[in-house]
Amino acid sequence: MYRWKIHRFYLKRLSRQYSQVALQNEYSETPEYPPIMDNSLQARKSRKRESLFEKIKKLDTVEEKQIALNMPRYYGWQCVMLHEDTIPYNAMPMIKCYTRSHFIPVENLPNAYADTAVAAGEISKEVKTYIEDAIVMETDGLERDFILSNEKPINVVKEDTIARSIVKQVNRIISNHLGEKVPHLLSAQVDYDPRHEAFWFVGGVDIPTSVFKWRKKYSWYKNRLDENVDRPVQYLGSPFVALRSRLPLKPLIPYSEAENPDFKVPKFSFGPQNVGYFSRFRYGTNIPGFWPGDYDEFGFLSYHGRGHILARNNYGPDDNIEALHCQAMKSSFGWLLAQSNYQGFTTYNDLTYPLITQTVITNGQLWSFYAYQLNTVVMHNENMDLNPKHNICFGTKPLKLYETIEDGKVKGLNEEVLKMLIQFYLNTPEEREHDLKPYLGKEDQVVADIVDDNKRCWLEDTYKHLVSNRPRHFLPPETYLWEKIYKIQHNTRFHEARRRPFELDINPFQRRLNEHLPPYIPKVLRPYPRSKKKFETTYYPDV
Amino acid sequence: MSTRWYPLYQRGNPQLRVFLPNFWMKLIRPTPKQLKNIVHFQCSMEMTKCDIKNYLEKIYNIPVIDVRTKITMGKFKKEVGKGYVIKDDDRKIAFVTLPKNMSFEFPDIFEKVKDQDDENMKSLEEAKKSFKSFINRNKDRKDVPSWFTI
Repeated sequence: MYRWKIHRFYLKRLSRQYSQVALQNEYSETPEYPPIMDNSLQARKSRKRESLFEKIKKLDTVEEKQIALNMPRYYGWQCVMLHEDTIPYNAMPMIKCYTRSHFIPVENLPNAYADTAVAAGEISKEVKTYIEDAIVMETDGLERDFILSNEKPINVVKEDTIARSIVKQVNRIISNHLGEKVPHLLSAQVDYDPRHEAFWFVGGVDIPTSVFKWRKKYSWYKNRLDENVDRPVQYLGSPFVALRSRLPLKPLIPYSEAENPDFKVPKFSFGPQNVGYFSRFRYGTNIPGFWPGDYDEFGFLSYHGRGHILARNNYGPDDNIEALHCQAMKSSFGWLLAQSNYQGFTTYNDLTYPLITQTVITNGQLWSFYAYQLNTVVMHNENMDLNPKHNICFGTKPLKLYETIEDGKVKGLNEEVLKMLIQFYLNTPEEREHDLKPYLGKEDQVVADIVDDNKRCWLEDTYKHLVSNRPRHFLPPETYLWEKIYKIQHNTRFHEARRRPFELDINPFQRRLNEHLPPYIPKVLRPYPRSKKKFETTYYPDV
Repeated sequence: MSTRWYPLYQRGNPQLRVFLPNFWMKLIRPTPKQLKNIVHFQCSMEMTKCDIKNYLEKIYNIPVIDVRTKITMGKFKKEVGKGYVIKDDDRKIAFVTLPKNMSFEFPDIFEKVKDQDDENMKSLEEAKKSFKSFINRNKDRKDVPSWFTI
């Protein structure tokens, strides 16, 4: 203590350039020590990660948060691609784990829909004839040109095309009929073939064998050869029709039930390529069918096709039904996650309230109904095991709306099925009492709110360019095969200058998004009289 | 299917010739973290997914759900004593998915061999030890032949 005081005394004498009043409360009664921190490698790493999550949480606008998620990778993340209509054999355990969803098979809609059962029954009787006419017209009454492509077989295209037009008609009929009675449908937005994309991180997945072999070479990996790394996951989907409303739907079950251990989802730690899902380099995008700033930002109902079932190898009827459940969980989770991102939550900052959506999967004749409650979106790294919350999905089997079409008439229309669909429409969104956007700024919530012209335009351009996922102007550097053979594996060209990235110990895929030269300002365009600023300002979020 | 040419007619017997396909599949040890209903095979380069499926179903009565294949590049290595780089052949690997209620575990073929190896190593160690003691005993008299020792 004594030596320290003397030291400080001299330090002050030497360093103080100006007079200042000595601090009065420099000493406290009891000594105040800084918190003792765990200095193990794991703890330091986790503190670093935590600070990143905090930084993303503190960003003001939705777009900046989305750019921040992509900041660590100049060439994009290597994402596990969950396409809506690609469902390999036995994908259910993996999809359940990746979307953290507990699936509850039901015969009828869950209890939250009990109030509207009677009203829906009456309405279904009223609209029945119109719907029958629409089905006949769209199935048999029209001559269609189908757009053929190599990507999808003809029977898939046919089924999806017919289902798309039936769904449009059914939605039109029910919305028009109910528009006067239920006001929330009058103001609802209808999207046709919208773009639904969602991006999140999944932890607890085994590392590939190549990484394991690579780690074996280094002594510092000795005790953590098996350590998991986060897998970026990207969902891509496009429903036929999606309805959005200004207010969120009511929770299906209380939010506190989310932590119920009965809903625990078994962990799936095998790599996704074992199941049949593969990865691609791309930027993570969260798009719920509209751009940030739209007023109707809560999903209400979405209709999806089931043509892909025809293109699957014949895995049996049970697996086909499971595939539909998988599709429902993927698309519901994906849409809700994208919506939650527009509310300011990300895969790093968890939801503070539940979000609900309703999903219908149909081919015009077979209809399956799903109600999904999103409780949590955090599942990166150790949160995969520690996060107590789970999402819940109620779903029915595919139900037949009608038996056959004979002589231009629909035979055996099942009113129960129609009733369920109408119950979805009668589910009224409600005002929530809590703050819906706790992690967004008070004044600037989207980029359009920013007053500074340069910053607003720059962020808007950058965000739109990022989510367009166009390739970079220059291709990513490649290690050619001859280099791998004659330079990396066998050192046969030791006389040559070392200039390639792998010779300089640079991994191009670790490059950050902002590691590039900003656009040059030509001298004539620089501000008068004299400006030394050669490059334009960039506004990348500081994370 | 065989890649061999049907030979020209020649007098004499046997006239009836059987052409075996040059299709073969070799069960290989899977990567350590793997779903239980997936089996890895190395197979001949000419086999397609359909061939693999038929091969397993028709000959061995194995129910096959799905087949995925990939071609892996052979290793590059230096020819010993020559200095130039040579390459092993590429291999076709097939990942065969069985029904989800089935599981396959790669058999431990060399279980007994391992015990034998241990025994061999033990005797080798003993031999080494006795040789070392022999050297130690005679380290002061290097010129004396070994049979001279008592």
